[in-house]
Amino acid sequence: MELLKMLSANELVAQIISFLILFFLLRAFAWKPILKVLDERGDHIASELKEIEEQKQAALKAKADFEGKLSSIEVVAKVKIQGMMEEAEKSAQRIKDDAQREAARIIIKAEANTKYEAVKAKEEIKDEVANLVLGAAELLLEEKVTSAQDKKLVNEFLDKLDRA
Amino acid sequence: MNTPEISQPELPNLVTLLEKALEGTPWAAYLALWENIIFSGIIAAIIVTVFWFSIRKRKMIPGRLQAAAELFVWALDDFVCGVMGPKGRRFVPFIGTLFIYIISMNLFGLIPLMKSSTSSWSVTLALALCVFVYVQYTGFKELGFFGYADALMEKPRGFIAFSVFIPLLMLFIHVVTELVKPITLSLRLRSNIWGDDMLLAVLANFGLGGVPLLLFSTFLVIIAAVVQAGVFCLLTTIYFALIILEKE
Repeated sequence: MELLKMLSANELVAQIISFLILFFLLRAFAWKPILKVLDERGDHIASELKEIEEQKQAALKAKADFEGKLSSIEVVAKVKIQGMMEEAEKSAQRIKDDAQREAARIIIKAEANTKYEAVKAKEEIKDEVANLVLGAAELLLEEKVTSAQDKKLVNEFLDKLDRA
Repeated sequence: MNTPEISQPELPNLVTLLEKALEGTPWAAYLALWENIIFSGIIAAIIVTVFWFSIRKRKMIPGRLQAAAELFVWALDDFVCGVMGPKGRRFVPFIGTLFIYIISMNLFGLIPLMKSSTSSWSVTLALALCVFVYVQYTGFKELGFFGYADALMEKPRGFIAFSVFIPLLMLFIHVVTELVKPITLSLRLRSNIWGDDMLLAVLANFGLGGVPLLLFSTFLVIIAAVVQAGVFCLLTTIYFALIILEKE
């Protein structure tokens, strides 16, 4: 009974009303909206993290693909370069051979020309000498002989000289 | 033989000062009658204002005040859902309001010329009665009338059910327990805060020599205020959890 004297019905009822008003006010404009914001932010962060994880996985996959392609490209390029180098060596050898053949041909042709020119020059010299000898002989000999006979005699003389 | 009357030391507050100033007028009696309600009303107004300012412009990236309000709500939500599981979410507004209201009232008495309304049993009993009604409502709503009565009788089955006496005894014990809950809940809070207020009032009368002790006691009173608000809300959470667990 002593305990009940501490109670005041007015205070009790007023406090209940005061608390209920506060509760409904805060529930309506504070608790529910804030909890909603927290849930939305949590969902947003979770979805963002999931998206980031997916993008990370995709990037890793792309990197692996790229590295695979890069290594295969390197192998192909190496093979191609090797092939091209071999082809280039073959071409160089072919050109060298052609050049050597051409040089040999030119040398042979030049030698032939030289021989021909030498023979030709010899013939011309021979004719010239013959004519000179004839001229000299005509001056020395009083006897007139035909030109054909003179030539024949000179040629025979020269042949003898060659053989000698 | 008459026992000598012991006067309760009490620090003056805004309402008692006004009461003295208006002594002899109807206003003085009015203020004396509604002293605790005036302070609890001031607290309620402050809480509403702070919450309103903190979330009036809600943003996905919060400002400082919104972040503080969200941190408080998140902590309460985490605490309640930690005890009751995800189903506890619907009780967060009620328990959260109780916590912020009680802790504010407890600490309000530390401000000069203010008073802790929770040092009045009427105030704490009012809060405990709100808890009691909500818990009973939840019990009947979740379990149904017979289901709740069955739970209060400790679910008698087989021989015990036919004995009738034991289930009725259990029902009586549980009903008494339920009825006592608001009294224990309210008296625990009221007595602790009242005791704290008395301690500070006595130490304040020591003069300058009592200042170090007063400062130390103020530190203890702050801890007690937080702990008592926490105990009230923890017990409330457990009452709800018992109903939810009973259903599951």
